[in-house]
Amino acid sequence: MNEVFLAGRGLASALGPDLNSALRSMGQAGATPRRWDLPGGFAWPLYTIDEHDADWTTLAQRITQRVAAESGALAAARSGPLFLASSSLDIGAREGGGDFPDYPLFAETVAGWLDWRGPVFTVSTACTSALNALLSARTLIRHGHADHALVLGMELRNRVTLGGFGGMQLLSATRARPFGKGRDGVVLGEAVAALYLSATPSRWRIAGGANVVDGQDPAGAVHSAVVAMCQQTLADSGLSPADIALVKPQAAGSPSNDAIEVRALRAVFPTLPALVSFKGAIGHTLGASGAAELGLLMACLETGTWPRTDYPHDERLNARFATSAPAHARHVLASIIGFGGGHTAVVLEDRAA
Amino acid sequence: MNSWRTLAHVNVDPLPADWREQLTTRLGQRPRRIGQWAELALYGARLCLDAAHEPVLPSGVQLRVASLSGPLQASHSIVAQARTGLPRPFTFMQSQPSQMLAALSQHLAWQGDARFTVCRDPQAVMQLAQLESGAGGLLIGWVEENSRTAWWRMVRD
Repeated sequence: MNEVFLAGRGLASALGPDLNSALRSMGQAGATPRRWDLPGGFAWPLYTIDEHDADWTTLAQRITQRVAAESGALAAARSGPLFLASSSLDIGAREGGGDFPDYPLFAETVAGWLDWRGPVFTVSTACTSALNALLSARTLIRHGHADHALVLGMELRNRVTLGGFGGMQLLSATRARPFGKGRDGVVLGEAVAALYLSATPSRWRIAGGANVVDGQDPAGAVHSAVVAMCQQTLADSGLSPADIALVKPQAAGSPSNDAIEVRALRAVFPTLPALVSFKGAIGHTLGASGAAELGLLMACLETGTWPRTDYPHDERLNARFATSAPAHARHVLASIIGFGGGHTAVVLEDRAA
Repeated sequence: MNSWRTLAHVNVDPLPADWREQLTTRLGQRPRRIGQWAELALYGARLCLDAAHEPVLPSGVQLRVASLSGPLQASHSIVAQARTGLPRPFTFMQSQPSQMLAALSQHLAWQGDARFTVCRDPQAVMQLAQLESGAGGLLIGWVEENSRTAWWRMVRD
């Protein structure tokens, strides 16, 4: 079977319109969430992309074209599979009166923006969408059905998502504090992220991955599922826990889920590897988060830029984020835990480490 | 190249008028607040497993669901609700395809790799699902609200 590599990435987020600006912002003051008002007098903080347009679809098109170009995918043949990964999909367009009668039509429209000619898939497994899309794209390349693929994670502003999470009392009214003392919920964020996969060797190899759904708690993490996710990912990667130098957990700032996640990680890793989180920097970008956070993770490890944690950790968790990039982190495990019982992880191998 | 054997296939189209009652009888309880689309997925999945003589979904089986339109009713309702205030939590959850996967996991007493992935070409969906499946095989469904629920339980030969 073919090896699969992450050949390029692109990201628009609250940190900036592209990855370079995101790294610059992260190295300085970073981004702060804005108060986002909803009908009925409700409001929550939201990490927003600083771009505006009267029409949601026009905004989505402009950002998507730029992010896909940043990933390098548009310089390729554009004949491989394209995976659109999102939780909210076209809901922003529908709120504005637009109408995509079915899921494939929206994804096909996005492909048309990019003049993409390969097969188009939609993956919607809530927060784990982009990582699941990555695993599917990897499968097609591994089996020789394609030599390149594009994963697009897209999560753009809409009332339904913010109001839906707000109505379920899952949001913080102030800020995200992953693994932090006094954390009180998630802060959502906008992102469009692109991961360009190729069979041609490059620095980052996708070593393995796994997806585990457990419906016991449709809104939260399940201990046994986190353990199974990690163990299956390590097995698929041919690695043992001691091989992992860095873990990027879900770490969304939820009081209970963060605690469940840390306990489960300790069950897999007798000594916790170094930890890193990006949700304090860009918010929880839901279906795009897997691609957005992987893009940031690779960029940070390559440049040494590192996200800061400017709030106290929860001493009961005893799980602190690393304050700088670990040296020679050859294998990195990145996971996302999602709404709907999804638990998904991948291991990346840094062949330069 | 691996070949596949279909252990069971059901295609319920058109839907019988009493399909929800049939589901309640089969489960011994009415599924609570999962929405019509997820109920229809569960109805088809349960019929397919029964036809395969599998009382539960075996561990190691991969679960895939596709749909052109997904949870139509909840999706329309949620946009309308968000125009004037907060969406109702259960409507919001029902509008997410992932919640259907959670409902299947819960009612089939199963933990494993489940995904909602769709392409307009059903053959592409099936091919990808088969490539991703391990030794336990595959349970795959195509579910359109108010219309049909079609399921296949497949294993490698």
